[in-house]
Amino acid sequence: MTTMDSGIADRTISRRRLLSLTSFLGLLGASGVVVWSNLLFFKPRVTYGEPSRFRIGAPDAFPLGTRLPLGRQRVTIVRNENGLAAISNTCTHLGCVVATNEIGFACPCHGSRFDPDGTVLGGPAPRPLPWYQLSLSPSGEIEVDTSAEVAQGSYLKV
Amino acid sequence: MSRDPGLLANLRDLPKNVWRSLFRNPLPSSDLGRSQTSFANFFLHIHPVKTHVHSLRPTYTFGLGVIAFSLFIILAASGILLMFYYVPSVEQAHDRMLDLSGTVAFGVLLRNMHRWAAHGMVAIVLLHMARVFFTGSYKAPREFNWVIGIVLLLLTFFASFTGYLLPWDQLAYWAITVGTAIAAYAPGVGELMRFVLLGDRIVGQEALIRFYVLHVAVLPAIITILVGVHFWRIRKDGGLSRPASADLPEAQPAFPEAVEGKLEGLAARSKLQKKKSFGVLGMVRGPFNKVGNTPDNTVYSWPHLFAAELFCFALTVLVILVVAMVFNAPLEAPADPTHPPNPSKAPWYFLGLQEMVSYSAFWGGVGIPTLFVLGLLLVPYLDRGNKGVGEWFSRHRLLANTLFVLFLLVNLVLIVIGTFFRGPNWSLVTPW
Repeated sequence: MTTMDSGIADRTISRRRLLSLTSFLGLLGASGVVVWSNLLFFKPRVTYGEPSRFRIGAPDAFPLGTRLPLGRQRVTIVRNENGLAAISNTCTHLGCVVATNEIGFACPCHGSRFDPDGTVLGGPAPRPLPWYQLSLSPSGEIEVDTSAEVAQGSYLKV
Repeated sequence: MSRDPGLLANLRDLPKNVWRSLFRNPLPSSDLGRSQTSFANFFLHIHPVKTHVHSLRPTYTFGLGVIAFSLFIILAASGILLMFYYVPSVEQAHDRMLDLSGTVAFGVLLRNMHRWAAHGMVAIVLLHMARVFFTGSYKAPREFNWVIGIVLLLLTFFASFTGYLLPWDQLAYWAITVGTAIAAYAPGVGELMRFVLLGDRIVGQEALIRFYVLHVAVLPAIITILVGVHFWRIRKDGGLSRPASADLPEAQPAFPEAVEGKLEGLAARSKLQKKKSFGVLGMVRGPFNKVGNTPDNTVYSWPHLFAAELFCFALTVLVILVVAMVFNAPLEAPADPTHPPNPSKAPWYFLGLQEMVSYSAFWGGVGIPTLFVLGLLLVPYLDRGNKGVGEWFSRHRLLANTLFVLFLLVNLVLIVIGTFFRGPNWSLVTPW
């Protein structure tokens, strides 16, 4: 074999090797698709639990000074001179339901404490309680969207 | 060709012939028979024909591996029975728990056995790990069996954790809420992991059915397979670890001239195999015939090993039965997703975790536990010296053993604080 030939030979690949390599890549890709589709299977698009958007009634139902915790939906509806707001009742530490009290909120599980706006006062909670988006539906009812967080202090004027 | 004895004679011999076809070997009275008993029986053939005497010393293993497996058998049996009455629905699950005490014979006893065996299995598997560490048994060639053991430990935690939710009482609901919230602190994938595990944003019907399927089908199947591999590898890695002094001096080969001459390959292989226990086929083949002498200080597994295992199993069943008759498994009020009890505590084996989480959510819940597990998995690959294997608290392993004692103590102290010294609002209280 001349030097030129061997240079070409280095870059050639036998038919058998090419076929086994592509077959292997094909199997690898197929397994990847199987794993990926199974992962998708385990992540439902819609859940059977509480909906993330729900209506809580007309603004008149919440007079000035209201602090009403809704147990099932895990939000507290607040009404003051600035307007209406919905603050999450789920502790940002480990997901327990916080109780409303005179200082604001308190988590019974690990003792995190929050002021009436949800700012952390003490305990292990890493973040303040999130505020959720409120809107006025065409029917005149307040709609809460727990999938949309808004900045602390964003009130809905009514 | 033998003559057919005739129908009448066949009928007369029916019981005898059925018995013989079932049990091919009568109770053994010879060494060949004792070997055949292990070889020819499906349920026994995972055992070696012969066992090293050192492996049978009660104070070496305390039978912890066999006890852990016995608890797994108790859990499988009682769990399958409980499945006949349990319904994984948020409306029915708790009522079904109550029904076990009123309308089902031995229902409470079975539930108690299942609960206490589950706690027992977590504890015994941890003790088993400690035994393997303190005797240096994870050293080569047993590194990978240690890794399988760590995976089995994690699976035991997960099986126990998924079972914890099923009674659907307050304890279950909030322990799982807190436990899965810890998982959500994993960076990047945490929230997704929690959502996929629960099938929803909070613990509810979706979480219950997912935990149920994991608990009764997926995890037991994986554990069963891995336990099989774990046992099989004990044999392939040469039996339980033991110090070199436990072996008798090497016997002379039957044909010394063969070692130097043409059979060098065979001789080398036989030298390699010296530390392994021999099956009957290995013993009767080749020039290095070991039949008739026992240079490797072993005894027949029948009856020595099997009697020891049966004893461990019977003792485990007895203890669980007595505990289940004396203590009732707790059952609190039905789960109320709006009112967490104060304080809410995870299962005891996760209370060390929860205690750490109360200082720092990420480091306590994810960072340090991940480092712990990685450390445990890598132990046999980082600590590769071969001194002090097969003996408890060997002088040669002072550093490794001290570190492991510290590791166990830290976890134990955190669990004790989380269990007994934490009251309402997770404030420090005294239990007395």
